[in-house]
Amino acid sequence: MSKIIITVIGKDRPGIVSSVARVLLQLDCNIENVSQTILQSEFAGLYIVSMPAGTDLETVTEAFNGAFQEDGLQVHISPLDVNAPQVECEGEHFIITTIGPDSKGLVYDISNVIAEAGVNIINLTAVFEGGDNPERNIMVYEILVPDTVDRHILSATLKEKAASLNLALTFQHKNIFDTVNRI
Amino acid sequence: MLSDNELISTVEMLKYEHLDVRTVTLGINLFDCASHDLETFKSNLRKKITRLAGPLVATCNAIGDKYGIEVVNKRISISPIAVVAAPFNADQMVEIAKTLNDIAVEVGVDFIGGFSALVEKGMANGDRALIEAIPEALTQTERICASVNVGSTRAGINMDAVLLMAQAIKRGAALTADKDGLAVAKLCVFCNIPQDVPFMAGAYLGTGEADAVINVGVSGPGVVKRAIDRAVEAKPNLGLGDIAEIIKRTACKVTRVGELIGREVAQTLDIPFGVVDLSLAPTPTVGDSVGEIFQSLGLISIGAPGSTAALAMLNDAVKKGGAFASSHVGGLSGAFIPVSEDLNIEEACQKGFLNIEKLEAMTCVCSVGLDMVAIPGATSEETIAGIIADEMAIGMINNKTTACRLIPVPGKVAGESAHYGGLLGHATIIDVKNCQGRNDFVLHGGRIPAPIHSLKN
Repeated sequence: MSKIIITVIGKDRPGIVSSVARVLLQLDCNIENVSQTILQSEFAGLYIVSMPAGTDLETVTEAFNGAFQEDGLQVHISPLDVNAPQVECEGEHFIITTIGPDSKGLVYDISNVIAEAGVNIINLTAVFEGGDNPERNIMVYEILVPDTVDRHILSATLKEKAASLNLALTFQHKNIFDTVNRI
Repeated sequence: MLSDNELISTVEMLKYEHLDVRTVTLGINLFDCASHDLETFKSNLRKKITRLAGPLVATCNAIGDKYGIEVVNKRISISPIAVVAAPFNADQMVEIAKTLNDIAVEVGVDFIGGFSALVEKGMANGDRALIEAIPEALTQTERICASVNVGSTRAGINMDAVLLMAQAIKRGAALTADKDGLAVAKLCVFCNIPQDVPFMAGAYLGTGEADAVINVGVSGPGVVKRAIDRAVEAKPNLGLGDIAEIIKRTACKVTRVGELIGREVAQTLDIPFGVVDLSLAPTPTVGDSVGEIFQSLGLISIGAPGSTAALAMLNDAVKKGGAFASSHVGGLSGAFIPVSEDLNIEEACQKGFLNIEKLEAMTCVCSVGLDMVAIPGATSEETIAGIIADEMAIGMINNKTTACRLIPVPGKVAGESAHYGGLLGHATIIDVKNCQGRNDFVLHGGRIPAPIHSLKN
């Protein structure tokens, strides 16, 4: 059984998830994983789908083109290599938060330090709505620090970078957030 | 994934609202160090304490760094020295205190607590020697804390010990007259002392405890104050039941932090985890004050009419939140009102909102007692004994812990200021009324019998 990954992007409205699911059901495809989010007015969804024998990428693409032609939704479908190696997932989860004045390049500046350390970002949310009001310019990164990476060096480098950008940065193990907020 | 609000509010608690782990206290049982020979005993102490406590400070720092939360103090509590060192006389007890002080410096801890005696029902030779040694021992050391339990709900109040403690307090203060009586800022007189307090000056390791145990003290008056402020700002006519609920929920979060840190330190050191003591313990820093909470609750100042009711609500809500957050809550767990250690409470004394009588009334519902109260140097031993007896009676009858940490500041009178520095802060000396003349009541000695445990009305 082969798998595909479908991305759906467009103006948010009621019924997008249902429309995508209807097309897939009609093709006898099985949804294995879905993640969706809404950023301001935009919908974005990621679907990993397994196709029944006899169905191929073209059939699915045609079905979506037919269904969504006038809907303003952009659908991108690609094959999924089930044998591709996964990113290293042994390590500990840390949360980085930054609060401070907005300026261009903040996400690059911080994520570049993380990338150079060879550390994967698991989750990122960023809101820059406050202009110079630091309370409303927030980045939250969840990262997976492999055992082979020295987190003290990563934390110190990030704090140094943040200081040069006037950001207050915290670097804490995820458990403290789980412990305080979840019973 | 946690929501952004949850993440940011947690960061704010830790970073801007002074939530910290006030102390990780390693309890060490010293009964297997006992010897009739002083040198052997001292050597046994050194070996056992340095072996267990050697990695304590580095471990706490590393775990604090990992979670982004500071472990402010690292401390040790030990078995009561009056029992462990029972064969020795007062001079030898002072030697033992000095050895313990050296060990504290060597392992890098802030304090060792447990220069203690439990004498609620009577005094043995070791107890008498230790009490006699207290003034000198606390003068000649910096990192040793002493406590003496003189009363309990089960045994009554040992009035002979109360008088001896009043004399020890006067003498200790006199020996450190140049430092406003600093020695006795490290001395607590207790009724119903808990066996597992991680906070100083009352920390010691009870005889029913394990060979070694990690107890954690978490604080966070600033977090509670901000939570109340935010809620009242959003809804000014909020009822007190709702405010108590907010305090309870906040206390729960704070306790969970202590539990996480304590368990990880214990696991790393391979020592059993004991209890979390969630106490709102202030420091002399703006925003880290218990007194400020009273203003957030709508009182003009701590000490104004309504303060005892507010403290009762606060103390109870803190205990409820703590008990829900951890199955092992112990120690004192509640709200402290140490005068010199809280800028706001100190100011309330200065402005006349708080006097010793109101403080005593509030201790009926707080978690400790008359704590860090500076009184005039001329206050007589009998008067101090009377104050202690009153405070012990509150604990005995109400089945709760009470304590006295009184400092008769040598050469100073009411209204003057006493300075201790650091966490101990500074205090305006509070007037003690009616302290002239003899107080034959405390000179009778003997023991006030334990209260009846039925016919409760």
